Amino acid sequence: MDDRKIQILIDTLLPLLKAGVAFTIPLTLVSFAIGLLLAVLTALVRLSSWRIPKLIAGFYVWVIRGTPLLVQLFIIFYGLPAVGIILQPFTAAVIGFSLSVGAYSSEIVRAAIISIHKGQWEAAFSVGMTRGQALRRVILPQATRVSIPPLANSFISLVKDTSLAATITYVEMFRTSQQVVATTYEPLLIYSEVGVIYLLFSTVLSTLQNYLEKRFDRYSAS
Amino acid sequence: MIEIHDLHKSFGSLEVLKGINLKLEHGKVLVIIGPSGSGKTTLLRCFNLLEVPNRGSIVLGDTKLDFTNVKKVPQKSVLELRRKTGMVFQSYNLFPHMTVLGNVMEGQITVQKLPKEDARKRALALLEKVGLSEKADSYPHQLSGGQQQRVGIARAMAVEPEVLLFDEPTSALDPELVGEVLKVIKQLAAEGMTMVIVTHEMKFAADVADTIILMDNGHILEQGTPQEVLVHPKSPRALQFLNRLSGEAE
Ligand SMILES: Nc1ncnc2c1ncn2[C@@H]1O[C@H](COP(=O)(O)OP(=O)(O)OP(=O)(O)O)[C@@H](O)[C@H]1O
Ligand SMILES: [Mg+2]
Repeated sequence: MDDRKIQILIDTLLPLLKAGVAFTIPLTLVSFAIGLLLAVLTALVRLSSWRIPKLIAGFYVWVIRGTPLLVQLFIIFYGLPAVGIILQPFTAAVIGFSLSVGAYSSEIVRAAIISIHKGQWEAAFSVGMTRGQALRRVILPQATRVSIPPLANSFISLVKDTSLAATITYVEMFRTSQQVVATTYEPLLIYSEVGVIYLLFSTVLSTLQNYLEKRFDRYSAS
Repeated sequence: MIEIHDLHKSFGSLEVLKGINLKLEHGKVLVIIGPSGSGKTTLLRCFNLLEVPNRGSIVLGDTKLDFTNVKKVPQKSVLELRRKTGMVFQSYNLFPHMTVLGNVMEGQITVQKLPKEDARKRALALLEKVGLSEKADSYPHQLSGGQQQRVGIARAMAVEPEVLLFDEPTSALDPELVGEVLKVIKQLAAEGMTMVIVTHEMKFAADVADTIILMDNGHILEQGTPQEVLVHPKSPRALQFLNRLSGEAE
């Protein structure tokens, strides 16, 4: 590699990292937080006995899981203006990613809740708890532990998926790298560089995942 | 006082309880024995509505519940009954994500809304009673089965129930750990705790029971003092069951 290329790499590293920290990471965090909330809600509704809400939740998961994320983002950002709903790129991206996380992770949360032994519900009921209390105090804390590894996977996928926001004009890290390519004419170099930064982010998150799993390992599942 | 009248329970087309009548005075101990599948667990679980009967009635203190022609028991009544009963499970069912102390405090805090300090005091007193003060900060998986079951008893006692329900509290335990749990239950009996106990430990049953009922196929076959039921049963089927048990014991 010649000196010019090395110089380009060094010069572009900071702007790319900045875009990652200022745009990719916030987009990921906000979308995941809202998505997780949606996921828990959806899981609880699907486990409940409310007929109509159950149907709606099932429909939501079916549609989101059955269509490409890219198509969903295009509908939200390019499609909705046709019916008068015009969204900022960031807002559109957050909506798209949250809905996606919500649908996929609701299955994780649902499976985790079901995996908790029925005896735990009964023990909670036997001390006089309502369903809600049992869920909050006994079931969800245990389900959380079960669902950390698969949820961490969703989170890491999301970091990478946010690059799709580039297609709806949100200038996050990947779109920044496209702009850099346009001025440097070094696609191999720059796209590899941005790939390495995504790898760095994922690795940090995996480490965090290990830490969380250890922390929750104070007790072993019964 | 507990009074159960004409209690019926079916699972689908399988009728498991076929008209159970019984009475238990405050401070007394009722032991339920009988062959496997006779409906002992189901009857016990009807006491705190983990199973909802199809017919009949349950009276516990001033709570009266009639299940005949009732589609859905009101949640308020369910909670009321559950708050007057405590249950000790065969497989302990401790909350694995809470410490021993946390397990015993949980019902007081979440259900009774007691201040933390009061709950802690009562929990520590109960742990002392079951001989586990020094394990207060351990997690359930760090305890032996016998210790876990004693925590289970403390947890059930913590919400100050009028009746304690036990479903084969020692049958998941290694033989050498059975004694420590039975000792705690006997102590509670001596202190006047009202209890309903399902067990296969006949010697323990004879020791602790004021009344024994022997169930068979969803009916009460024999009912009386330990002497009456274990030594002088009236029906041939009861005799057969008891003989088989003493045969196994030898
Ligand atoms: N939830 C359920 N669904 C269907 N059948 C059930 C259910 N619970 C119990 N049964 C059936 O009801 C009958 C009585 O069961 P129960 O557990 O009350 O017996 P038991 O006297 O406690 O027996 P054991 O000594 O083996 O514990 C059995 O035939 C059992 O298979
Ligand atoms: Mg049983």
